Amino acid sequence: MKTVDIKVAGKPVQAREGETVIHALWAAGMAESVKTGCVGGVCGACTITVRFPDGRPGRTDLACLCTAEEGMEVFPCPVDPVPSVAPQASPNAGKLRTAYPTLDRCTKCGSCTSACPMSIPVMDSVLRMQSDQLSVVAEDFTTCIHCGLCRFVCEDRVQPHNMGMWVRRSIGASLGPLKEAVVAVEPEQVEREWKYLLEGNPTERINHARQFRNSGGIEE
Amino acid sequence: MDWASDSLKKLEATREERLLQEPPTLSDADADKLLQEFHPDYLGMERNVRVGPNADTCKFPHELADLLESDSHLPQNFEPSVDIETDVLILGGGGAGASAALALEESGLTVHLATKLRLGDSNTVMAEGGIQASLGVDDSSRRHFADAYVGGHGKNDSDLLRVLCENSADTIRWLGKLGCTLDCNEDGTFRLRSGGGTSVPRVLACKDYTGLEIMRVLKDAVLLSNTQTLQEHAAVELLDDGAGQVTGAVLWDRNKGNLVTVSARAVILATGGSGQLRLQGFPTSNHLGATGDGLVLAYRQGCKLLHGESYQYHPSGTAYPEALVGQLVTESIRSTGAQVVNAEGERFIGEMTFRDVLAAAIIREVAEKRGAQTPTHRAGVWLDTPLIDIINGEGTLRRQFPGIVHRFERYQIDPAKQPILIYPTLHYQNGGIQVDRDGCTEAKGLWAAGEVTGGLHGTNRLMGNSLLDITVFGRRAALSAQNDLPPRRPVTLTCLKKSREQFKNISDRREVLSPQLFPTQAGMKVAFELQKAEEPSATGFNSSGPSTYEPPDPFSK
Ligand SMILES: Cc1cc2nc3c(=O)[nH]c(=O)nc-3n(C[C@H](O)[C@H](O)[C@H](O)COP(=O)(O)OP(=O)(O)OC[C@H]3O[C@@H](n4cnc5c(N)ncnc54)[C@H](O)[C@@H]3O)c2cc1C
Ligand code: SF4
Ligand code: SF4
Ligand code: FES
Repeated sequence: MKTVDIKVAGKPVQAREGETVIHALWAAGMAESVKTGCVGGVCGACTITVRFPDGRPGRTDLACLCTAEEGMEVFPCPVDPVPSVAPQASPNAGKLRTAYPTLDRCTKCGSCTSACPMSIPVMDSVLRMQSDQLSVVAEDFTTCIHCGLCRFVCEDRVQPHNMGMWVRRSIGASLGPLKEAVVAVEPEQVEREWKYLLEGNPTERINHARQFRNSGGIEE
Repeated sequence: MDWASDSLKKLEATREERLLQEPPTLSDADADKLLQEFHPDYLGMERNVRVGPNADTCKFPHELADLLESDSHLPQNFEPSVDIETDVLILGGGGAGASAALALEESGLTVHLATKLRLGDSNTVMAEGGIQASLGVDDSSRRHFADAYVGGHGKNDSDLLRVLCENSADTIRWLGKLGCTLDCNEDGTFRLRSGGGTSVPRVLACKDYTGLEIMRVLKDAVLLSNTQTLQEHAAVELLDDGAGQVTGAVLWDRNKGNLVTVSARAVILATGGSGQLRLQGFPTSNHLGATGDGLVLAYRQGCKLLHGESYQYHPSGTAYPEALVGQLVTESIRSTGAQVVNAEGERFIGEMTFRDVLAAAIIREVAEKRGAQTPTHRAGVWLDTPLIDIINGEGTLRRQFPGIVHRFERYQIDPAKQPILIYPTLHYQNGGIQVDRDGCTEAKGLWAAGEVTGGLHGTNRLMGNSLLDITVFGRRAALSAQNDLPPRRPVTLTCLKKSREQFKNISDRREVLSPQLFPTQAGMKVAFELQKAEEPSATGFNSSGPSTYEPPDPFSK
């Protein structure tokens, strides 16, 4: 298989073409150099920055998704979490501002959006927070893996991901009990059904369960 | 994907016909035969363990059996001396551990949660498809039970399964109060999808990021709670009082490189599964920390393991591109219309049959040369994802499965236009520590919840029952520990010493140490100094228990 030469934190590493930075580090005995959690692009542990030899702009990325390319330089970029603020009922921009006073510091530089490995329109969403379009904000942050890169690159100490979480949790918790299409069943019938499923020898039980799956009730 | 163009042409040629086709059906007897011949669980790659509570009575995969017979990382001369004293020690920072911590928020107890990686780096965060709850019109807790019982081949512990099914609605409400957002229909009811083996739609989801949604909310809530979190602290051994009660754990602080001894009145084990043992060389969908640590720790304390031979191989693991090998493509994508098709463009099984049967069928197709070969010497069958938009309208795939799209786009594959190559991936540990309906293990002072436990799912778990498992039983174990909190007892390594005596009698043991902590492939080192770190422990908690602080002798390797 073809190999490529990359550098991680200044050290040369040989990687198989098409393999991720994480797997290249494993093979090189350097697993500890980048923090790793899920190895699947959803936990946000493995944040890195990448530089390319051919003049393409460098970028932030996740080492478990980033494939090795010839001449690439990788720098581990661990982001420490910052404390968050508890969600509140019936959220609005005012309450968000109180919870996160740095909201209005945003200078619209766009760094957070370019840094986000999940392609979330972070800056636009910060602007939506300012103008109280919180349900859109909640939608924007659906795929946020809390890697913290948007905060890490923000020179104005805005914490978009924490604010996104605050909005999502606040809205989610305020929805109240959702409509449930539960049909009331007599308690005696419920007990009868449990008895039908739980009693008898193993063969009877599995047969009863098989029958029950067909109609959702006891078949006489 | 030039290498696949022939096979893809065949697939496209049959698409229209397949759209109208009923899925192929399989009799129960044929399904059994398929499992016997092709499912990895049935190939005899297991053996007896020769020590401990399951000695010579049931089989385990070689990889796990080796670990159960292995010595501890702790040096022979290590003597525990308490650094942290707490009421409840939770081990594992996935969904089960976090749920347990939140359930104790009002208890007034001191709670520590130690986890090997960062809080939330877990299998939970990776879950895509959803969580089951019997909220549909034709549904009930009994129907939920029947589905899971048939799916689990009737090997389920009925008592546990009934508790699971009866608590689903309540758990969804609990998640809702914490601020989890699950997808809804226009009329405000939850959107329910089908899962493999559900007889009515019962799976709630947040797009294809259900675990991420649940885990990040639980994590945020835990960090805002009174729970003291010890991140990057791996449990390397449980402690006991020498009289059958578990009394704490020895943790390895990965950053400082030292050992931390915790004395606790209750220990809740929530260390999850073991996909990273990569049985029989299978790739895995699991997170880095899924190395079966909890099984080993509890086993040394005399806890029996149930169905230790039973694993779930998820039918749709990615087989191409190489960078994504083993990663999951959620089952919901099949319930939304994607068909499973071999290299000849033929459907060979109903997509929504039970997972083990479908996995076995895919393995058969590949073994009998009806799979597509990748340039990296892997093989698989097609998941015809473009059907989703054809059936449900353009844009459906992108809207409902942004995770899949995001992941494949990097490799110039648009699943809405191009099928995905799949092959089974090691996904879920069906078996585990035997527990009762309150998460009590056989050892006093030790509770367990989540993927680390066994019995609930029998020998095959249905999609969506695991996220329910961890939120139901994580909380139940915590409440049970709170209600039955034993008095504080001394910390000793009596159980470990006994195990070490037994190990001596086995001559052909593999020279590995356990718990394994990290996948072998990662080549990560487990190294610690016995010298105590200079500052007090991370939480600054003072010890004043029966065992007083005594710095051990400096130890040099
Ligand atoms: C890719 C994927 C998709 C899935 N999709 C679904 C789905 O759609 N629906 C569903 O119901 N289920 C799904 N599952 C299964 C489900 O996510 C898991 O079974 C469940 O989340 C397990 O939760 P847990 O808390 O028991 O374990 P985990 O979430 O794995 O948490 C265990 C924690 O313990 C830590 N730990 C491990 N060893 C130690 C140690 N020695 N010391 C300290 N800490 C330790 C781990 O690092 C981790 O943080 C999926 C699983 C995977 C991998
Ligand atoms: S990086 Fe900070 S200042 Fe720049 S757009 Fe984002 S939030 Fe605003
Ligand atoms: S929004 Fe911020 S924290 Fe969330 S994924 Fe993007 S960069 Fe990471
Ligand atoms: S290791 Fe989890 S995102 Fe990379």
